[in-house]
Amino acid sequence: MRPTFSDITIVIALELIGAILLRFFLLADDWRIVGGILLLFCAGFAVMQFRSDWESRIGDAFNRGTRLAVGLAILLVLLFPLALNGNTYALHLLIVSQLYAVLAIALNFQLGSANIPNFATGASYGIGAYVSALLAIHFNVNFWLALPAAAVAATAFGFLLGVPSMRTRESYLALVTIAFGVVIHQLLNNFDWTGGPNGLVGIPAPSLFGHSFASPIVIGGIKLPSQANFYYLSAVLVGIAIISAQRLHGSRIGLAWNALRADELAARCQGINVIWYKVLAFAVDAFLAAFAGTIYAFYISFISPDNFTFLVSVTIMTMVIVGGMDNIFGVIVGAFLLTMLPEKLRAFSDYRILFFGIVVILFLMIRPEGLFPQRLRRYGGSE
Amino acid sequence: MSGHAVLRGEGLTIRFGGLVAMDGVDFVLQAGEILGVIGPNGAGKSTLFNLITGLYQPTAGKVFLNDRPLNGLPAHRIVQMGISRTFQSSRLFTDLSVLDNVIIGMHCRTQSGVFDAMLRPSKARGELRQAAAKAGELLRSVSAGLYDQRGRAASELAQADRRRLEIARALAAEPKVLLLDEPSSGMDDRDTDALIADVRAIIARRPELSIMIIEHDMRLVAELPHRVMVIEYGRKIAEGSFADIRNMPRVQEAYLGRKATAHA
Ligand SMILES: Nc1ncnc2c1ncn2[C@@H]1O[C@H](COP(=O)(O)OP(=O)(O)O)[C@@H](O)[C@H]1O
Ligand SMILES: [Mg+2]
Repeated sequence: MRPTFSDITIVIALELIGAILLRFFLLADDWRIVGGILLLFCAGFAVMQFRSDWESRIGDAFNRGTRLAVGLAILLVLLFPLALNGNTYALHLLIVSQLYAVLAIALNFQLGSANIPNFATGASYGIGAYVSALLAIHFNVNFWLALPAAAVAATAFGFLLGVPSMRTRESYLALVTIAFGVVIHQLLNNFDWTGGPNGLVGIPAPSLFGHSFASPIVIGGIKLPSQANFYYLSAVLVGIAIISAQRLHGSRIGLAWNALRADELAARCQGINVIWYKVLAFAVDAFLAAFAGTIYAFYISFISPDNFTFLVSVTIMTMVIVGGMDNIFGVIVGAFLLTMLPEKLRAFSDYRILFFGIVVILFLMIRPEGLFPQRLRRYGGSE
Repeated sequence: MSGHAVLRGEGLTIRFGGLVAMDGVDFVLQAGEILGVIGPNGAGKSTLFNLITGLYQPTAGKVFLNDRPLNGLPAHRIVQMGISRTFQSSRLFTDLSVLDNVIIGMHCRTQSGVFDAMLRPSKARGELRQAAAKAGELLRSVSAGLYDQRGRAASELAQADRRRLEIARALAAEPKVLLLDEPSSGMDDRDTDALIADVRAIIARRPELSIMIIEHDMRLVAELPHRVMVIEYGRKIAEGSFADIRNMPRVQEAYLGRKATAHA
């Protein structure tokens, strides 16, 4: 169906407003500006909560104008660094937010699609980072080869993690994943070859076609700081994660995950091999998390076990719950919000865990489906 | 009825701790036959379905589908081999659309794996689109009203439509044997009449389909099944045409007993 004129207006207006707000949010030093933007954001959602007809109008506009929406979004992502006045800290925040967006999308396969709790996404993230860093430091493996190698290693870990899910019930499974996460953290802390608590240093920056990611980007007189390299790299990863998530969601596999989320016993009786699909969710989660971990390691060039603690896993979980279970756009928004907010509200950083706790409780009470609830699937032609 | 045994149970027994919920039950289901299963509450009727579909493993005894033993097979394999079921208290995927419920019912008749979904999306999506079209047809053939509601969440359906959807979902797996567990529960007389008509329409299209149906509604039991077996305290106490068994003293006793407790 072709988008109408008002569809086009809605899509363009919302994306531009979103980008502009994000820019001011990133560049704001004063907590009052931060608070003001947050209030605007909350007001927007309060309106949605009471005017569900507006919400579905916006949804329709984006459905009909998908091409325009995606094209404009890509353009905005490409141009965004130009609007940051060379502020490297803002770029850094964006990179970390994007990596967390990938982690949140990864976890969403489990928590959102299949409702399997997994408190070990941080561990898969760490395994990805360590495997690629070790390969780069000791074997001179370049970034582009380390990336798939790390993904394979983490996927193997994901399968291993999934094995207990064959026998354990949900609440115990959460405990098993917590244990796995803690074990990985302890191992990284205690092995010699992982550098112990000091971690690994001197991970070389990647390069592409002779351009080192440690040097600034210069195109036609415009110069972007070196962080822009990793900004674009992580943006590409977010793109890959989104495409993978959509493909899985829109396939028989996504349906099987949703079925076992709704009623595991009934799912078995529809011919769904529940154990396999649970293990698969763990593997896919670990696979994507390893990509994020690899980029993180090569970006910061220094990793230590403390980057991959239990708290990291809890943070990712919060992002999925806040953003919206099984809604890809929602979990990305959740990831951006929960990465940037604590940074922007540094003054309150001692209360970070308290903050996550309160946010989760508030959401489960007020908007249990998250900011952006999942929507029913549509098949071509059937309305 | 073409007269060969599709599904057969031999000496089916299951114990839950001290309780013997099923005790040496033999049964045979012929191709194209409708076998009614009746008995008081707690007699073990649903347990029998759970044994057949692999949700429970029998303590003793065997189930055969076309002479192939099913013992030890997981539930999802048994569906694939051709036994589908509905549940006594309906178990739909309530947060998914009506159509998606039926598409999920086709899970074991579709192929795409992770690699197809990720790397060959046009193939995976094409398969799903075909499944969606087929699911739509199936819904339409079961009930036009249900078809019109295919885009809604299953949770929004009325009780009778939920039952219909569960039957459509079970049929989506293209079963040889369909097990219906109290399909008329929660229905009024009009809905029950519609249900009887629906089941008739379903078998008219699928002459080879064999059905086992657990029921309390005696009108339905009188009309649909070719044969009825009566279960009490986990044992089969009678079997035959409805006209024959309804007058057996043991059956009447079992039923009067049930009614007495039900009204108490
Ligand atoms: N998983 C189970 N664990 C323990 N007891 C069970 C289980 N399933 C069924 N039972 C018992 O078996 C008996 C038969 O139950 P059921 O088959 O549901 O009866 P109905 O004929 O009403 O369908 C009941 O006493 C029930 O409590
Ligand atoms: Mg029962």
